[in-house]
Amino acid sequence: MLRSLKGLVCHSLKLDRGCALHTAARGGLSSVSSQDGPERPRAVFHTSESDPAKHTEQHEGRLYDIPLEEVKAVFPHGLPHRFQQQIQTFNEARVMVRKPALELLAYLKGSNFTHPAVRYVIYGERGTGKTMTLCHVVHYCSRQGWLVLHVPDAHLWVKNCKELLQSSYNKDRLDQPLQASVWLKNFKTSNERFLQEIKTQKKYIWGKRESTEEGRPLREVVEQGLARVRSASDAVGVLLRELRQQSHRGSFRLLVAVDGVNALWGQTTLSKEDKSPVSPEELTLVHNLRKMVRNDWSGGAIVTTLSQTGSLFKPSSAYTPQELLGKEGFDALDPFVPIPVPNYSPREFESCYGYYLERKWLQHEKAQTEDGKAELRFLSGSNPRQLDRLAGPL
Amino acid sequence: TLRLICTSTAVQRKNVGASGPEKYTETFIKKQIEEFNLGKRHLANMMGEDPETFTQEDIDRAIAYLFPSGLFDKQARPMMKHPTEVFPEQRKIQWGEDGRPFHFLFYTGKQSYYSLMHETYEKLLNVQKHQDQLVAQDLPLQKEKRNLAGSRWLTKIELEEMLLEKVSDDDYSRFIQLLQKLVALPCADIEEKYIQKFSKEVPMQLQKVVIEPLQYDERGVAFSTGEGQRKTARATAVVYDNGTGKITVNGIDILHYFPVLQDREQLLFPFQFLGRIGKHDMVCTVSGGGRSAQAGAIRLASAKALRSFVTEKEVEFMRQAGLLTVDPRVKERKKPGQEGPRRKFTWKKR
Repeated sequence: MLRSLKGLVCHSLKLDRGCALHTAARGGLSSVSSQDGPERPRAVFHTSESDPAKHTEQHEGRLYDIPLEEVKAVFPHGLPHRFQQQIQTFNEARVMVRKPALELLAYLKGSNFTHPAVRYVIYGERGTGKTMTLCHVVHYCSRQGWLVLHVPDAHLWVKNCKELLQSSYNKDRLDQPLQASVWLKNFKTSNERFLQEIKTQKKYIWGKRESTEEGRPLREVVEQGLARVRSASDAVGVLLRELRQQSHRGSFRLLVAVDGVNALWGQTTLSKEDKSPVSPEELTLVHNLRKMVRNDWSGGAIVTTLSQTGSLFKPSSAYTPQELLGKEGFDALDPFVPIPVPNYSPREFESCYGYYLERKWLQHEKAQTEDGKAELRFLSGSNPRQLDRLAGPL
Repeated sequence: TLRLICTSTAVQRKNVGASGPEKYTETFIKKQIEEFNLGKRHLANMMGEDPETFTQEDIDRAIAYLFPSGLFDKQARPMMKHPTEVFPEQRKIQWGEDGRPFHFLFYTGKQSYYSLMHETYEKLLNVQKHQDQLVAQDLPLQKEKRNLAGSRWLTKIELEEMLLEKVSDDDYSRFIQLLQKLVALPCADIEEKYIQKFSKEVPMQLQKVVIEPLQYDERGVAFSTGEGQRKTARATAVVYDNGTGKITVNGIDILHYFPVLQDREQLLFPFQFLGRIGKHDMVCTVSGGGRSAQAGAIRLASAKALRSFVTEKEVEFMRQAGLLTVDPRVKERKKPGQEGPRRKFTWKKR
């Protein structure tokens, strides 16, 4: 048993050393990999392969580490709340490599960017890891140098909105300045260098005195949106349109990652001042995002997740695309590549359990035995969220 | 002055002390028996049966048919029984016309009790004499163990019924001690008939619960079924061998059917107790009750099904752990004059 473990460790070490010659970002990690040598049990659950581009089936079921600075840069607003708490507790961000993510990465690596953007819909039961898969893909794309348009949860845009302004651009539509400004701020942190490089192609007039000339960097559009909160939603619309038009030129790749895409075609809980309900098309943000998710542009990919937890007016047992998207959404998103995300396989369960054990998250003596493991597996039903919630009080 | 014409006998009677229960004379009882037999023949005629072969069971059925009653208490319903069963046995007058009592121990107060004690002691002395005789002749003493496990002594109430007079606790315990002393002697078999008058067979043996053997389905996998209930929920469980620990309830996975952790823990308990968490698959059907009741019902059903897979000792452990007992707690009935089963209405001082 020990010999085989040693073999695994040596193999992964060799892999890293071999890659070190190719990738520039490998330098800091060689020290990490040398530390892994003496700690044998660690290697079974973890892999020091920190670049998602190199993840293969061999790494399936293992957890890989994302350095904390990268987390702050790439995911200002994308990670699930509980995962962020876990990062704070353990002081490291470990994401599990799972089969759906590997599948998606393979598709992305092999896709032809001159064709219209392919849409991928990640779906599954509650708490199986759809958002985490999306974050894995986002990390990969940001490592590869793509421009990432990450909408953390589209449901935030269709419910609990305090301020609704009538749009100055189009009389029928309604603006959401708060949500738009929050999103613009996060977008700025994640894609700094692109905003400098990409230039506008048209002149945009924001109000009586403000306007953006043609050829100015997109960062000015974003700053305009942040400074003048009233026009933030329009700034978002402008941004999306520019990116869409320029992506097919090939200077950069565009990834549109939307979590909870079923919010775009459902109902909203908002209402206008005369108490009439608002349908999603009447919101500027939703309208622009819908245009983004249509596959009429090329040079990138659209990866979306369905989410039942934030969805409105949908039964809690619904998880397939037909049920959650509704007829309208399904027609709009059709054709797409569905990617189902199942519960943990036995191997993934073992590695998650081993990780909690190693970080001393499971304090109860009984939890550390084989029986405890079987009990946890039974009670959580191998569902990642249930396991996480169960392991919390232990 | 007004003279009261209609007065009841109760008012006219002077303050006579309350007499005991009515004394039935022998003639009265005889008359009742004749009337009963006549009534039996009439009833047999009415029902179209043969009067000669009309038993007590037939009488009960006929009365239940002719006078149907919805009363809960069986003894409140109309019945026709032989007068000896209806009228309790009473002591006949213990003294003759001259006032002299018949029995020599009458003036002790508890004549039947003391006479019984004297008789039993006489038997004891008899046995001891016989024993001495055997020892004198150097013959081996017979020692046959009486079957004590299946018999019990008469209770105090039964003894009172037999003697037709009150027996106090002390007296009763002395009598039982004497009997036990008699039985303990080796040659007590001589007086076996006398002792049998005071002992009773314990009628029912403990019902041995039969554990069903395993059944095998088409694929060759062993399985067994069990049923359980709790409050109003009824569940049936089929436990298969060589499984992965997957459990389906009414066609739905337990994670979806029981989102609450507590219910899933209830389901886990039998398997965890036996240490067979990932080894069996289970398919259950459940109906009625609420979520907790359904969980409890499935737990009982699965424990009963698991008995077939497990040794007898472990079955005993399960029984002691309470996995095989039906939970008797049901919703208590609301009483009139109270708001709920226990809660009273708000007490107002005025």
